[in-house]
Amino acid sequence: MADVTLLDAGRLHGEAAAADADVAFAMDEDAFRAFYDRTSGPLWGYLSRISGDRQVADDLLQEAYYRLLKCGVAFESETHRRNYLYRVATNLVRDSRRGARPLFDSGVEIGDVPAAAGYASPEQRADVRRALGRLKPRERALLWLAYANGSSHSEIAGVLGVKTASIKLLLFRARRKLAGLLQRQGAAS
Amino acid sequence: MNWPIPSRREPTDEQMEAIVAAAMAAESADARQEAAPPSAAIVWWRAQMRARQEAALLAEKPIAVVHAVSIAAGVGVMLAVLGYAIGAIKGSWDWLAATLPSVAFANPWVALTLTTTTFLFVGIVSVAAYVAFSGE
Repeated sequence: MADVTLLDAGRLHGEAAAADADVAFAMDEDAFRAFYDRTSGPLWGYLSRISGDRQVADDLLQEAYYRLLKCGVAFESETHRRNYLYRVATNLVRDSRRGARPLFDSGVEIGDVPAAAGYASPEQRADVRRALGRLKPRERALLWLAYANGSSHSEIAGVLGVKTASIKLLLFRARRKLAGLLQRQGAAS
Repeated sequence: MNWPIPSRREPTDEQMEAIVAAAMAAESADARQEAAPPSAAIVWWRAQMRARQEAALLAEKPIAVVHAVSIAAGVGVMLAVLGYAIGAIKGSWDWLAATLPSVAFANPWVALTLTTTTFLFVGIVSVAAYVAFSGE
C-alpha cells in the first residue's frame, strides 16, 4: 500500500473538492453572457476613463465581473445588477493605487483612434482628454455616469456611495471645473 | 461638432451644460471605438478557473490546520517523555554514583564491562534514532 501523507491527503481532497465544485455563481452562463455583452463595452469605457489607463481597465474589467459572479446579492432587476457592477468597478479603481495615467498624458494616442462621425476635431478631443486628466477620479466618474451612461442621480449616488441629495451639487462643481478647463485650453490654443 | 467656448466671460449654466455634454459625448464616442473587452466566454472561463482554485485552497485549509495541530501534539508528547526520562536518568545516575565506585574499584573487569556496555548502548540508540527519523 502506498504511503499517503497528510499533505498528500489534503492536496487530493482539495483537488477533488475543486473538481466537484461546479462553481456556485450568482448567474448561469447564458445569463452572464447576455449581461456581459450588454455591459462590458460601456464598463470598459468607464474604467478606462476613470483610471486613465487602458491596461488597468482590462484588468479591472475581469475582476469586476468575477466579483459580480461571486457575490451573494439577489438582484431585483437588470438595472440593480448593472449599478452593483459599476459600484464594484468604482471601488476597484479607487483601490488600484497606480500613479501613471497614460490616457491623459499630453499628446497621446488621440490620432490612433478615428473620430466617430460628427464628433469633435482631434485637437478638441485632445483638449477634452487633458481636461479630464486634471479632474479628480470621482469628478470623472460623476460626469461619465451622468453624461456618457445617462444615469439618474440616485443611480450615480448608489455607484459612488454618496447621498442622492449631494449629487446635484457635486455634478455642478464637476461640470463647472471641466467647462473652465476646456475654456482655458480653448483660449490658450 | 464644436462646443461653444466663450473665452472671456464666465459661461452660464446652459453654456457649461452644452460644453460638458459635447465634450463627454466626444469622449464617450472615442471610448466606444476603443473598447475591446475580451469575449464573454473567456471571462466566464477565467472566472470558473479562479473560483476552482480558490475552492481548492479553501478545501486544503482544514487539512493544513490538522497537520499543524498534530505536529504540535507530537512535540508536546516528546517534551513530556523527555522530562520523564531526564528524571529517571537523574535518579539512576544518583544510584550509580552511590554504588558504582565500590563495585568498580573492587573488580576492574566489572568497570570495563560497564564502560563498554554504556558506550555500546549510546551508539546503538544513536544509530536507531538516526534510522527511525531519517527514513521515509
